[in-house]
Amino acid sequence: MHDLQRLPPIDFSGPAQFEVRDLHFSYPNGQAALRGIDLSIAAGDRIALVGQNGSGKSTLIRHLNGLLPVQQGELIYQGEPLVGEHLRRARLEIGVLFQDPDDQLFCSTLYDDVCFGLVNQGMALETVEPLVRQALASVGLEGLIYKPSHHLSYGQKKRAALACLLAMRPQVLILDEPTANLDPGQEKILVELLRQYSGTLICITHDLLFAFELCQRAVVLDHGQIHHDYTMAELVAHPPSMREHGLDFSFRLAGLANQDLPPLQACTLLPEPPADTGTASHSKGTAVLALGNYRFSYPDGTQALQGVDFVLHAGESVAIVGENGAGKTTLLSCLMGIQSGTGEHSLEGANLSRKQRQLLWRKVGMVFQDPADQLFCASCAEEVAFGPRQLGLPAEEVERRVDQALQRVRLSGYHHRVPLHLSGGERKRLAIATVLSMQPELLILDEPTAGLDPQGEELLLEILKELPQTRILVSHDPFLVAELTQRTLVMHRGRVLEDYSTADFLADQSQKSLNLLALGYRQQRSREILELQHQHQHSHAHYHLHDHPHRHGELVHSHPHEHQHDHPHAYTHTHGADSSEHCHPPEVGYHEHSHPGHEEEEHRHVHPEDESSDG
Amino acid sequence: MHISDGVLPISVALGSGVASLAIAAWSVKQTANEDLPKVAVVTASFFVSSLIHVPLGPTSVHLLIPGLVGVLLGPAAFLAILLGLLLQSLLFQFGGLTALGANALMMGIPALLCGLLFKRLRGDTQKQHVLVGGLAGGGGTLLAAALLALLLASGGEDFFGVMKLALLAHLPVFVVEGLVSAFTVSFLFRVKPELLAQQLGAAS
Amino acid sequence: MSETQAMQLPLIYLLLAVFLCGTLWWLALWTLKTASHRHQEGQQERDWSVPLIDSAAGGDSLFHRWDVRFKLVALLGFAFLVVATRSPWSALLAMLLGLLAVRLARLPFARSLRRLLAMSGFLAMFLLIMPLTAVPHPGDFLLTFSGIDFLRFNLRGLSLALAIVGKACAVALLMEPLLATASLPRTVEGLTRLGVPEKVGQMILLAHRYIFVFLEEARRMATGMQVRGFQRRTSMQTLRVMGNYLGMLFVRSFERTHRVYDAMQARGYQGRFPAPAYFSVGKSDWLHTACWLLLGLLLLCFDRFWLGN
Repeated sequence: MHDLQRLPPIDFSGPAQFEVRDLHFSYPNGQAALRGIDLSIAAGDRIALVGQNGSGKSTLIRHLNGLLPVQQGELIYQGEPLVGEHLRRARLEIGVLFQDPDDQLFCSTLYDDVCFGLVNQGMALETVEPLVRQALASVGLEGLIYKPSHHLSYGQKKRAALACLLAMRPQVLILDEPTANLDPGQEKILVELLRQYSGTLICITHDLLFAFELCQRAVVLDHGQIHHDYTMAELVAHPPSMREHGLDFSFRLAGLANQDLPPLQACTLLPEPPADTGTASHSKGTAVLALGNYRFSYPDGTQALQGVDFVLHAGESVAIVGENGAGKTTLLSCLMGIQSGTGEHSLEGANLSRKQRQLLWRKVGMVFQDPADQLFCASCAEEVAFGPRQLGLPAEEVERRVDQALQRVRLSGYHHRVPLHLSGGERKRLAIATVLSMQPELLILDEPTAGLDPQGEELLLEILKELPQTRILVSHDPFLVAELTQRTLVMHRGRVLEDYSTADFLADQSQKSLNLLALGYRQQRSREILELQHQHQHSHAHYHLHDHPHRHGELVHSHPHEHQHDHPHAYTHTHGADSSEHCHPPEVGYHEHSHPGHEEEEHRHVHPEDESSDG
Repeated sequence: MHISDGVLPISVALGSGVASLAIAAWSVKQTANEDLPKVAVVTASFFVSSLIHVPLGPTSVHLLIPGLVGVLLGPAAFLAILLGLLLQSLLFQFGGLTALGANALMMGIPALLCGLLFKRLRGDTQKQHVLVGGLAGGGGTLLAAALLALLLASGGEDFFGVMKLALLAHLPVFVVEGLVSAFTVSFLFRVKPELLAQQLGAAS
Repeated sequence: MSETQAMQLPLIYLLLAVFLCGTLWWLALWTLKTASHRHQEGQQERDWSVPLIDSAAGGDSLFHRWDVRFKLVALLGFAFLVVATRSPWSALLAMLLGLLAVRLARLPFARSLRRLLAMSGFLAMFLLIMPLTAVPHPGDFLLTFSGIDFLRFNLRGLSLALAIVGKACAVALLMEPLLATASLPRTVEGLTRLGVPEKVGQMILLAHRYIFVFLEEARRMATGMQVRGFQRRTSMQTLRVMGNYLGMLFVRSFERTHRVYDAMQARGYQGRFPAPAYFSVGKSDWLHTACWLLLGLLLLCFDRFWLGN
């Protein structure tokens, strides 16, 4: 379903804000990143730029603010090519929110950071102060104006970076993966802030729920070309084209549909609902790891854990949820023995001394949120072999485990690839392989799907489901929690607030709205998308019954007749998320709409009157 | 090892201060203007890596890496080292404020020489890269130790004992630095060879 | 006096001296630990809505109110004058002045103590070696201890070492009053007003900012290695891993430099950072500066003429 010639879904009058014509770009190593981009962006457009990792999204936005020079083609902003003095001025009107806020907060205090752009806009230092205060107040950081940015939390940094841009009152705001690594609370704030923003919004994201919330238009990139230019609703309503571009997140909706949505019309292609998860937690195995009244304080005095009791049984999968700073990460590092606090800590019933805790790495494997923190070798094979070598295994065994682990994470044959050159999803899987090769009894996963595109997410989920290990999962993602775990621990300010079955937890969410997981607007949007997916347009060959004047050679006459058309129509129907098949038959119906040019075409069909076909 | 305040005779402290200012000015000139912020950010990573301790028998040594800085930054290395030392002095009191010039000379000159050596000799193969990288890493430290000795010796014959000890203390560090540098260069060669090929900030 | 003088003391004196130094060192360490602990317990989140340059927030003292440019000139000048002295007595005096400065600036002593301890290794080397290796000159006083007669302690060496330690401590003590009484950007701005190129000033601030980012990155990577069983030993394998670790740190930092530079350009960077103007000069600035420089000069004169060095 590629309708490349379609007009942008939003009408605009007057000149476009951005006019991109036949833009090509190749990196110095010869790799073509953009291949003939044509795009018009009107002032006030809200565009989601989506596509697989490596499809050229980042390259495109780096053109839009002149960070990359135009090699071939045209790029016009406000009627002028984006070069020289015009580029300098344009940059002051185009705000870019990059992925890592640490890259953008390069001054000593938040004040200076916000000041930086304003002063570059030509404002006098004496007059900017109210603007700086206002900008920081609008993102809720007015109390931290003179704080050095390295003291902020990740979410605060992200908001501060946004404040730096908003202060400049940009006409265009470009966001690169704005929700990556944000916890749901912070994400909600960000969504609110962006909703209030009235200029042009261009947003790169894998998170279609987020995009659906904020954007009206979706531009799908694939291998440096624009494949679709839709309204957002059209995109999310059409799983096959999302699937084609690795964007299909419908697998998430399936789980949600089973929770508390009104039952949908039956469709055989919908996946089976997951097995009842509530019962699993009752069949308890032996305790693998246990903490009793465990406390931990950081050297700076922060009490991160305040009396945690936690027993993990063999074969169990437990989710740990809670807002950022609730003590989840500290709990993990204590379980791993990286940090050592006071209280009981036992492995398989035997209490662990401080020394023994440091040997826990032999039994417990941990996958970090950012694979960059875990990968430090020059080839994948070395990387995966590192752990088994530290265990002191013989060379053949190490080799066998490397092969096995790489195969497990679908990276067979990657032995000599350089980890640093892999894509985000591959790096994540490699990080998992490095841990799997040590064959840990317990596997700890910290936000395993952070930063992955939906396709990568689905693959990872598949891999994780296959693993036999006892698991601990830290995640903000209700879908992941529902799919992978049977038991949930809710943490809050260093304490375990709740410890119950995941099913109870998910039910609890909607009642108490603890706001711990990414529900809220997401749930709302998910439902809307589900609805949309059942009534949406299809463009595939189907039959029409017509009544219009038409021509057979010299003869022009009019009568109802049937023939095949290929154009979109709205159908109300259901179909599976993972298939392009449809439950609905290509119906024959009477249509009253026009088919431009159709009447002039030659018609070949049998006329019952004269039993002959005209030419 | 950084020289602290009060060790060097005042004339040497002032003289080396002036000399290092002159070299720093040259280093700034050699660096493309728009690359200066980049050099600053990279300096932070050198700062951090000089805090890393490598175990050595019963104790551990922290890395000095003048050679590696030179390999990676070329002419901008002196500037980076001066900045790094200034910050170390300000934040941790590693090296005195009045001895900053002397410390910068002691670390910066080896860095410049090793950078030049690496650029000339690195060749195309990994083997040669690693060899020259190790040579630059170890040589940088050796040269730094020699300069330290020279600076200490400027205090007169009473300082010869300290000087000998300082030289002796640098011997194991020299071996460690050479090996670590060789491994680092080998890693970079396989992972991101462009870092070794074009020295950041070298005016192009 | 053309001959060296010699004297022998019981060994116990030496042992006592060494023991005393060791105890003092431990005491300092312990004080630092408890002080930092107490500091955290009573710690209150600073009110970050008030700028550090506002003297009421960052502390209020003579040093806080002092114009940064004058402070830099005065204390740097004083430091060089102190370094120019030669005798341990003037070093001791300078140290006392340093202590006075810390006191006047109303700064917690713990931070200054940390600075002193950071140098202690390097300085201990001088204290240990210099008395043994200083070349005996006519008029030197040589000390030996019974039992270890072969070791001759030259008191002139000891006095040289003590002078060095004293001067180092004096300057180190000045560092806190010099740096902690104004925010770093302000101090750097002061430096640029004194002739340091603006570009270099900005580089100092940028480097300082990213040290914290890279420290965090390095720490996370070290943990990542630790959970996969990496232990630092004296072995080739350790060195290889350290090489990779350093390499990775550099790769990440180089990649970050480009991203930071992009972000700067995207916000209209044209090669200049906005430089806030913080300065106002009063009579007292001149007075303080003159006062410190005069003190330094007096100290130097005292050292050179009174003590006759």
